[in-house]
Amino acid sequence: MTRFLFIFCTVLGSLFAIEMLKPVQEAVIQPFTGFLAALSTALILPFDDTVIAQGRILRDAATGFAVSIEAGCNGVEAAIVLIAGIVAFPASIRHKLVAILAGFFFVQALNIVRIISLFYLGQWNYTVFEWFHLYLWPVLIMLDVLIVFAIYLQWLGKHHTPAQATSC
Amino acid sequence: MLIRRQLVLTLALMPITFGIWYAADALFAGPAVWLCDLLLSSLYPDIVQGAGLQGANMLLTTQFGETDGQILSAREAGNQIALEINTRLVSYSIAFYAALLTASNLQESIFKFCIGLVWLTGIMGLGLASIAGKDLLLMVGTPFLAAPGVPPADLLAVTYQFNVLLMPTLAPICIWLWQLRGSPLWETLAADIKRASAQR
Repeated sequence: MTRFLFIFCTVLGSLFAIEMLKPVQEAVIQPFTGFLAALSTALILPFDDTVIAQGRILRDAATGFAVSIEAGCNGVEAAIVLIAGIVAFPASIRHKLVAILAGFFFVQALNIVRIISLFYLGQWNYTVFEWFHLYLWPVLIMLDVLIVFAIYLQWLGKHHTPAQATSC
Repeated sequence: MLIRRQLVLTLALMPITFGIWYAADALFAGPAVWLCDLLLSSLYPDIVQGAGLQGANMLLTTQFGETDGQILSAREAGNQIALEINTRLVSYSIAFYAALLTASNLQESIFKFCIGLVWLTGIMGLGLASIAGKDLLLMVGTPFLAAPGVPPADLLAVTYQFNVLLMPTLAPICIWLWQLRGSPLWETLAADIKRASAQR
């Protein structure tokens, strides 16, 4: 437990510090955030052709309403928590890599739902938008991280059981 | 099964706990604002005069003032810059924690909730101080950074990100997991962890 906490905190702190570095922001985080905006637009377009993406901004051409995807809205922080948990937990490198990739996908999938929902909530009612943006969605994203980590633990356990049976 | 039940119940309880939190936000934020006031006015008396609660907002009065767009000391400017900080940005952690804890139906849950509340208040105090640091950096800029004892801008940014964007959601989970020990849900989780650890 102590080992897990030590590695978890170290990886968490290190990844946070790395994420904040200017070159990392410019080369990775900002393009990734722009990609999220473009992907959200691509997903909305078949249903709503008034949406346009301008860099990190998602805009409705008809109403003029726009949301900008900023630091803290791109799901990277939640992904960092998940990665820190996976790295800290004892498992093979292959399992860790699979879990990080799958976990990142699940966190970002929910984050896309979050971005799209906020885009429409903001056009409908700004008070509801603020509630979801500031208080509810961060909690739901962190619950998603918890669920993914719990599934990872069960997956690791299931992988172990048949191997153990064979060796017996 | 128990984990699924926990998650479904947490989601079901969230509208109730968030409703109570929203109705009594000043009550939950008060101790954290007091802590933040104590921290900032004793560590940075040249920057912060004091902080108080106004509804759901923390009003932070600084030792800076502004004249013709120029930042000066409050005495020179003849006015004071005050920051209004939304305490809900950090206090929603209490609503989340309450939902997690209530869904687990633990023994001595009221006592455990009080213990968790003490921890969360401390974390909220740090969160409010981090928001104040970020706002002062953006509003006051160089005179703030040049004041004695103020950390560099990068450290302020990391602190803000960690204490405001991450801790309100991560801290409740950590406290809840710690308090979960000994419960049937913990035994289930421990069995999963044991099986998963053996995998290595």
